[in-house]
Amino acid sequence: MTDKGPVYVVDDDADLGASVARLLRRHGFAAEAFLDPAMLLRFYSEAPAACIVTDVMMGDLDGFGLADAIRAIDPAAAIIFMTAWPTTANAVDSVRRYGGLDYLEKPIDEDRLVAAVEEGVEWASRRRSALARTRALTPRERQVFDLLVKGHSNKVVAGLLGLSPKTVEDHRAAVLAKTGANGLAQLIALAL
Amino acid sequence: MPTSTNLFLRVVSFLCPRRWDWLLLALYAVGFALAHWVAGFWGGRGFYSLWFPAAGLRLALLWRAGPRLLPWVALVELASDAASGLLWFGMPDLAMAVFGVVRPVLAYGLTVAVIRWLAGGTRANVLIAPMPFGLATFFAPFVAALFALPQALYLPELTGVRGAREVVESLAAFTVGDLLGVLSVGPPVLWIGDLVTGRDSPPKPPPPAAALEASLVLGAALAAGNLLQQIGLGDATTLTLLAVVWIGMRFGRGAAWIAIALTLLLTLHRSAGALSTGDRLVLHLHLASLAVVGYLAGSFAEAQRRARRDLERRDRLLFQAERLKTLRAMSVAVIHEISQPLSTLAIEARHLHAITRDADPEVAASSALIDRKATTLAGLVRRLRRFGGRAADEPSPLPVAALIESVAALAAPEAKAAGVALSIAPIDPDLVVLGQEVELAQAIINLLRNAIQACEDGRVELKVSREASRARIVVANRCTGTPHVAEGMGVGTHIARAILEAHGGTLVRERLSNVMRATVTLPRFGEAV
Repeated sequence: MTDKGPVYVVDDDADLGASVARLLRRHGFAAEAFLDPAMLLRFYSEAPAACIVTDVMMGDLDGFGLADAIRAIDPAAAIIFMTAWPTTANAVDSVRRYGGLDYLEKPIDEDRLVAAVEEGVEWASRRRSALARTRALTPRERQVFDLLVKGHSNKVVAGLLGLSPKTVEDHRAAVLAKTGANGLAQLIALAL
Repeated sequence: MPTSTNLFLRVVSFLCPRRWDWLLLALYAVGFALAHWVAGFWGGRGFYSLWFPAAGLRLALLWRAGPRLLPWVALVELASDAASGLLWFGMPDLAMAVFGVVRPVLAYGLTVAVIRWLAGGTRANVLIAPMPFGLATFFAPFVAALFALPQALYLPELTGVRGAREVVESLAAFTVGDLLGVLSVGPPVLWIGDLVTGRDSPPKPPPPAAALEASLVLGAALAAGNLLQQIGLGDATTLTLLAVVWIGMRFGRGAAWIAIALTLLLTLHRSAGALSTGDRLVLHLHLASLAVVGYLAGSFAEAQRRARRDLERRDRLLFQAERLKTLRAMSVAVIHEISQPLSTLAIEARHLHAITRDADPEVAASSALIDRKATTLAGLVRRLRRFGGRAADEPSPLPVAALIESVAALAAPEAKAAGVALSIAPIDPDLVVLGQEVELAQAIINLLRNAIQACEDGRVELKVSREASRARIVVANRCTGTPHVAEGMGVGTHIARAILEAHGGTLVRERLSNVMRATVTLPRFGEAV
């Protein structure tokens, strides 16, 4: 079985971090524990994660700060929060503001953690391939793509960008070719 | 119309005397006739008496029984007057004479009703018990005089007075007579009534120092007054007034009344018939002021003491709350500290359990046990955290069964330590209330704790039942002797009541022969409150 991941576990309690990482490794994830979020951020761009499991309350940089920093450099990593100080407000924020996939209360419910990581890794791989397919677009094609997925017709897009409908049609064909999509519906799925 | 008939019936059944009222009214009839006869010795032209103790009986009766008995009191007084020959059929102006008898009763009833209304609720800060009755003793005679004013002005000949001077004299005498009568007889009659019905406890003998101080003050004032009178410096009742106020302020109503009664005893016999009306009026006015001021001073001192006691109790509650806050902060910190290593422990224990399943049975059994304990502990910590958490959760629908389950889990160690078995009847799982789980759990834990502390046979029962629109939770324990009230027990009940009432619920604690029972009702979720 090839390892899924990588999954990074961040907790300022070294034992717990190691323990959670070991647990995830047992479930087939390439998991690694980090004591300090800053250390993770330093080398993150070299080995981006599929999923990050992080404690909320930590020293200098807390879990939410880490989430913001990760989102800035990698929009395709799934983030799962765990905390020993659960509050309703934090639970809502973790999902709505920080794009968290789940918010787990310590002592951790193992089954739920594993299920969440599983889901996170899948989500991340889908997201990453979608991003890869749109990365090859030129800036102009990107503009056309952004407007198309909002549901605008070629004509409207042409009007908005000050191009002729013919040019827009060309760009559209290029976008479809580069992303390998065979229609608007698949384009929209890529943008989500 | 049925509604007006209904209303009529309700009014009648409200006014109709109940079982004990008949006895009260009979006693009142005898007392009134007697007091009325005694008062005759202090009579004069244009007024009945300068000392009218019957008024004291009247006020005491109306105060205790409420204005409900008003018509009956008036009837008794009419009958008494008729029996003693003051009223008869065919007398001139019978209607006016009857009204003259009924009028003061009305005035007293009205005063009592108004003062009780004012003292009810939180309308006035001055009206802390026993101030309301003190004020009633003072106001009732004046209101009665006020009621008599129209007749005195327009039909003075009925009372046999001529001229403005005599009208004023008659009214003044009437007021003074009632004031003295009310203050000399009202308080002890009311007190005796309360003793008989068990509302009040028998008095403790006063501390010797207090008794000595009071007698010295009163004795000195009386002696000095007497001396001044002997050497021709006039009547110095003012000194006695100061002494009575002193005693009232220091020792309360009871002492004040005794001082007043002693003063009256020493003075009143001099004024029966012997002095001129003017001198008598002045003397009685002095005595009335002394009685009013002294009794009000006593009432005020007691009200003050009571207010201070309430304040102290509130302070104690505050300390308690403060302590709870600290305790809560501590427990939250402890839970946090525990949950961290427990997370690790639970994960590793589960893993250990999984990989040792096929190992040596001894090892497998041990690791299974460790895993189970760690899992239980993790569940406990999560539950405890919900209880001590800082988030003020919104009220949410709560199954009563779940609520009682967590309450039972939290109260179990305490019950075990006290050697008490907690028996909880099966609970309808569909019974749901709306509320803050933590607060409601606290309220019920407090009731359970009280029951565990007061329990005598090692059994506390908790039953939940469904009523029309409410859930009812009953906590019961056996107690035969006098319940030993542990320190802080009142606070727990107090808090429970406050929480339950904030949730639209009620708490009733009652003693049924040898069972102490606390009954909680809460509105069911989805039912209109």
